[in-house]
Amino acid sequence: MPRPRRDPLYSKEYFGPECPDVSDPTPVQPTVPRLFWVFCSISAVTIGGGYAMVPVIGSALEKKGWVGESEFLDLFATAQSFPGPLAFTTALIAGRKLCGAKGAAAAGLGVLLPPFGAIVLVGALIGRLGKLAPVQDFLAGAGATVPGLVAAMIWKMAKARKWTALRAVATIVVAVALSLLPGLTIPVFFGAIALLYFAERKWSS
Amino acid sequence: MELLAIVWTFFKIGVVSFGGGWSIVGLIKTEVVPRWINESGFSSLIAIAQATPGPVALNAATMIGWQRQGILGAVLATFSVVAFPAIAIAGAGLLAKRLRLDQRALQESLRTGTLAMMAMTLWVLLPKGSLDPILLGLGVASFALAAFTKINPLWSILGAGVVNAALRAIIG
Repeated sequence: MPRPRRDPLYSKEYFGPECPDVSDPTPVQPTVPRLFWVFCSISAVTIGGGYAMVPVIGSALEKKGWVGESEFLDLFATAQSFPGPLAFTTALIAGRKLCGAKGAAAAGLGVLLPPFGAIVLVGALIGRLGKLAPVQDFLAGAGATVPGLVAAMIWKMAKARKWTALRAVATIVVAVALSLLPGLTIPVFFGAIALLYFAERKWSS
Repeated sequence: MELLAIVWTFFKIGVVSFGGGWSIVGLIKTEVVPRWINESGFSSLIAIAQATPGPVALNAATMIGWQRQGILGAVLATFSVVAFPAIAIAGAGLLAKRLRLDQRALQESLRTGTLAMMAMTLWVLLPKGSLDPILLGLGVASFALAAFTKINPLWSILGAGVVNAALRAIIG
């Protein structure tokens, strides 16, 4: 929505206090197309996945007056207890809260569309240029950072974690089990979560 | 049929994708290497997935679908990864009324599980066999930058690519 320009003809000298205050526009109501657009534009310009996108989503929704700050934190906590990329699950839950099932679909598609376009574009480029030696060296160098970045994420998560003996032992046991049994990730993961849930209830206050 | 295999594989991956995308990168690797992409191709793909907009695991799925089966593969792989999360969120309202879970215990056990999945991802991603000293150096440098500074990892990824290409051009 274009902002009305401040025209001297419409200033208070001519129309007195009736003049609409430009600095305080009435907040726009959330609609399905607006939801799609908000999530699509954030997804298009934010690089770094969910942890980079979620704060941007939060401040955008707060700025529009659609969701309050603590409301958004609740939303985000709910999103975290579901599987799926965080940006996507946050979009679904926020979209549903604001505009029901259609809102969820619009927000979710908004998050998915820009990365999809970017990947198809980059994929096509690499298909063309991937045989060139400098491009291959560039990709090899970029790929070499990936284990380093994962190790850094683990380092940060481990530092932020509230450790208990249960959590430390469980993390190591589950990590070893997942690494040794690559074909059984789903049963090992959910079995571990179920056991840990009861252990957390019993032993941690 | 490969398209069906792609759909099923990424649907399964979507089921355990708790705690954001990075925790399932290891699982994606064990599922797709060497079936659909080779070892070094996978590392580059993940770097590209992180350096483009969007969640890393989602981008990786789109890219593998695209490389194997063109645009249809890309669309199906993308929707397969998010299919289970979308179903779970849609169905959760019904389930939550019957099942009262202790949110704190659930969140803590998911955190433990996610950290274990991250450790598995790191284990799976660590280079096996002979180590190239330049690539090893770039990996260590990217760890240090990401762990101890606030520099966006995007710059590590792009910088490492440029450094490696430049060094190889000089060495010949």
